[in-house]
Order: sequence, then C-alpha cells, then structure tokens
Amino acid sequence: MKVTELFSRKVFVLTSEVGPIKGCVRETSTSDAPAFLKEAELVKGVVHAVNVTDNQSAVMRLGSLAGSVKLKEKGIEPVYQLTCRDRNRIALQSELLSAYSLGIDHVLALTGDFTTLGDHAGAKPVFDLDSVQLLKIASELKEGRDMEGNVLTQAPDFAVGAVVNPNFDPIDLQLIKMEKKIEAGAQFFQTQPVYEPARFEAFVKRVEGFGVPIQMGFVLVKSSKMARYMTERISGIRVPDGWASELEGLSPERSKEKCVEMSARVLKEVGSMCQGIHFMPMGWSDVVPRLIEAAGLPKIS
Amino acid sequence: MIGTAPKPLEDILGTLEKHVKIAVTGCNGCSKVAKTGGEPEVNAMAEKLREFGKEVPVALTPERGCYIHFVREKHENSKDALSSCDAVLVLGCGGATHVMRQYTEELGLKIAVKTGLDTVGHVDIVVPGSLAIEQCGECGECILNETGAICPVTKCAKSLLNGPCGGSENGKCEVDTDRDCAWVLIYNRLQTLGELNSLKAYRAPRDHRKMNRPRRLVLR
Repeated sequence: MKVTELFSRKVFVLTSEVGPIKGCVRETSTSDAPAFLKEAELVKGVVHAVNVTDNQSAVMRLGSLAGSVKLKEKGIEPVYQLTCRDRNRIALQSELLSAYSLGIDHVLALTGDFTTLGDHAGAKPVFDLDSVQLLKIASELKEGRDMEGNVLTQAPDFAVGAVVNPNFDPIDLQLIKMEKKIEAGAQFFQTQPVYEPARFEAFVKRVEGFGVPIQMGFVLVKSSKMARYMTERISGIRVPDGWASELEGLSPERSKEKCVEMSARVLKEVGSMCQGIHFMPMGWSDVVPRLIEAAGLPKIS
Repeated sequence: MIGTAPKPLEDILGTLEKHVKIAVTGCNGCSKVAKTGGEPEVNAMAEKLREFGKEVPVALTPERGCYIHFVREKHENSKDALSSCDAVLVLGCGGATHVMRQYTEELGLKIAVKTGLDTVGHVDIVVPGSLAIEQCGECGECILNETGAICPVTKCAKSLLNGPCGGSENGKCEVDTDRDCAWVLIYNRLQTLGELNSLKAYRAPRDHRKMNRPRRLVLR
C-alpha cells in the first residue's frame, strides 16, 4: 500500500533508509548479501517503506533505481530517491518512467548534494531542474504528459514525496519553498533531522495549515564524535548538549543502548506532532526496531 | 569583464618548446584590468621568453584583443616582424586568442597561436589583479528583476530557481561556507524592498537553448 493511502487512513507512517553499495548486485546470495540489502532486511516488517538514496553525498554508487528494485524483489517497499544533480530533464523524466515500469510506487524528489562534496569532485554538476520543478514534472507525468506536453502511452502513478528542513534560518524562506513543492505536487514530506522537540513543534505550528503529511526525519546519533560533528558541521542541526558526553567512551553495544534511550525521549515527544517518522540509521538499521519499541511508536500492521 | 589567470610558465614554455621566434600580444581591455595581459605583463613575458632563449621581435598590446579591427590596427606596422615569427603567444582571453589566430590566417601566416592565460569567464573586479568574482552567468534569460538584482543562476552553486536547498547554514552556502547563500541574500533583499511575494511564484526550468554553444548574438 502506498504511504499516501496510509496517511489518508491516519496511519502513523514509519520509514527507514539505506544507501546502495559501491558495486553491483547481480549475484546476491543470502549469505553474502550487500550491506544495504541486509540493512533493509533488518527493518522489514517494522517500517512501511525504505528510502534508497541516490548517490548520497555525491559519492558514486549503485543507482537508487537498481537498489529500489532489489528491495522490491525482497518484499520491502522502496522509496526511490531521485536527485537533480546528475541528470538533465530528459534523463529525469525517463528515469521516472523507468522506475514506475519496474514497479516503483514511491518517489522522493530532492535537489541533491553538490558534486564537490563527493568522491568525483570534478564531475559536471547538472541541476538542469530544481526539486520544485522535478515535483511538477513528476505530477505532469502522472497526468499522462511529459513536461513538453507530449502524451504518454501509459502514465506512472506513484506517490511523490519531498524534503523540508525545519532547521533552516530564515525558516520563512524554507516554508515558501515548501508551499511551492506542495503546489507542484508533493504528497508527503520527510524532514531533515530534528532533535529538539520545541523546534519541531514551532515548525509544525507554521505548517499545520498546509494540509500535507509530515514525517520527522531522525538520524541515529552513533557516537560522541558524530553528535559534535552534526551540531558543528551539518546545516542547522543541533544535537542536544548532553548527547555527546553521554555517548563518550561507550562500547558499540552500549552506544546503541544509549542511542535508543536518548532518541526515544525525543520521539515520544514529537510523535503526536507529526504523521510519521523517517529514520536515517546510518548503518544501524538493527537499532530501528528497538527504537520504535522504546519510543512506543505505533507498530505497523 | 572576462577574467583570466596566467598559465604556469612551465606550461607556456612547454607549448612553445619547438618554437624559436615568438610574438607576444596582449589586450588593453579585460586582461589589462586583470593584470594578466596589459602592457606590463606583455613586456615582462617577452623578457622572460628571451631569458629562456627565445627571440621576441614583437610585443604589442591592442586596445581590445577580442575585436579584430583593433588587432589589425595595432599590428599594422609590425606585420613583417610578425611574419618572421613561428608562433604567437596571446596574453588575452580565449576569444582574443581566436581573433589572433584569425588575424594570422588573414595574413596568410602558417604559424602557431598559443594562449598564455586560462580564461575563467565573466567576472567583476573586486581588487584589480587580485580578486574578481562571478555575478552573471550569461544565461540569456535574466531574472534579476524578480530576484532583487541577485542572480540565483550564478550565485547559487546549484543554480536553483525556486528557493534554497536545505543546506544553507547561518546564511552560508553548503558548498563553500565562505560564500553567502544566494537565496538568503535574495530573501533579505526582497524583504527590504517589500517584494517577498516575488519568491512565491513558480519559476519554470530555464531554456538552455539560450546557453547552447557556440552562442551567436545578432543585434540587428
């Protein structure tokens, strides 16, 4: 079932995220399945769908479409992420038609991290379209026409999502763009990670009239180093002050327990403010089911 | 103006390796301002090439390297000297180098034309000879009237037309934290002007036919 249908049934939607590997997935036996498929298996039956990132951080990997199809083959509902960084409008539209033809029902449209941040820093950044334009074009494809008005023999029918950053300053500028995304056809939103319930509440109050479901994004903070890095280096994100020191010097397993404990406190507070949570486990997919349990989030049926 | 930066001397000597007699020519327009190809730089390059054993019978700086009329005019009295050379080194932009090549062909000369500069493109001078910044990407469909005279096509790393990406932090760009986020600048400017509504309009994808190369401008 599409997440849009779940939202309309007032289901609290849980999604997680995996990043494809740098390599192929032609041969995948159960014993040596690629990491991202193993991760997806860890959240199967625990979340409604799993995002598959598109060359995340501009690091070249297996494509998000191939990754999404592999998840689908394993009975895991993929949210196919598509960025504007690497493809012009011809390729983006073609990708959307291909994705739907291969069974993809969910697309998340993003701008994409800039090329110089990745492992092919000299690559040509494309950005022929921006995320608002990509959403509009996806909507037009769903209506049976390409962006030039040419009729499609068969139209796609996916649920199209978008991203918003509640940490952005000035927030009004981000909200103007969010409204444009909704106007362009965004049916649900996943947010950049937020750790401060008060900040998320302030954001939710600003957007409650927008009439679109919102999943709060949540990156699992795995170490004190990561906590400090995210606060200092990642746009607008503030990991609560105590988290870094609480994670200091812990064993991996203890870190996971502490992560669950601290994260659950936040999720318990924000759960009633939004229509779902989008987890970004960063390799800790095994923690997601424990966290859902600890935070008392509604189980998927 | 057109921003240019000097190529490393070893690259210039490398490209001129098999040539003995070199004409050095500059440009009194953009390259003069950039201090990469005005008279002082042309003379200094001539001297440097002589140090490395080259003959340099011609060292001239036309008023503009990109306009063949100025090039013809400047070289009018040195055609014979130019004809005796087996290469020309242009301290001008890529356009000036094309024009110089065209001029040598006009004269029927079968000599190499090389450039001593890397051309960066349309930039505005902050400190002559030291710092220039790009403000206009020459996209052919100017939206400055709607964006408070701050260009998102050029000043936003991703050339976004409908607002910022999620990566801006404290008003700085995620790609380069020393650089302002163009969309925050635009927002602040439009807020000052009471024109924030301009941001709410959907901006359609650009028509890249206007940037397809090589471009040609027919004014009349």
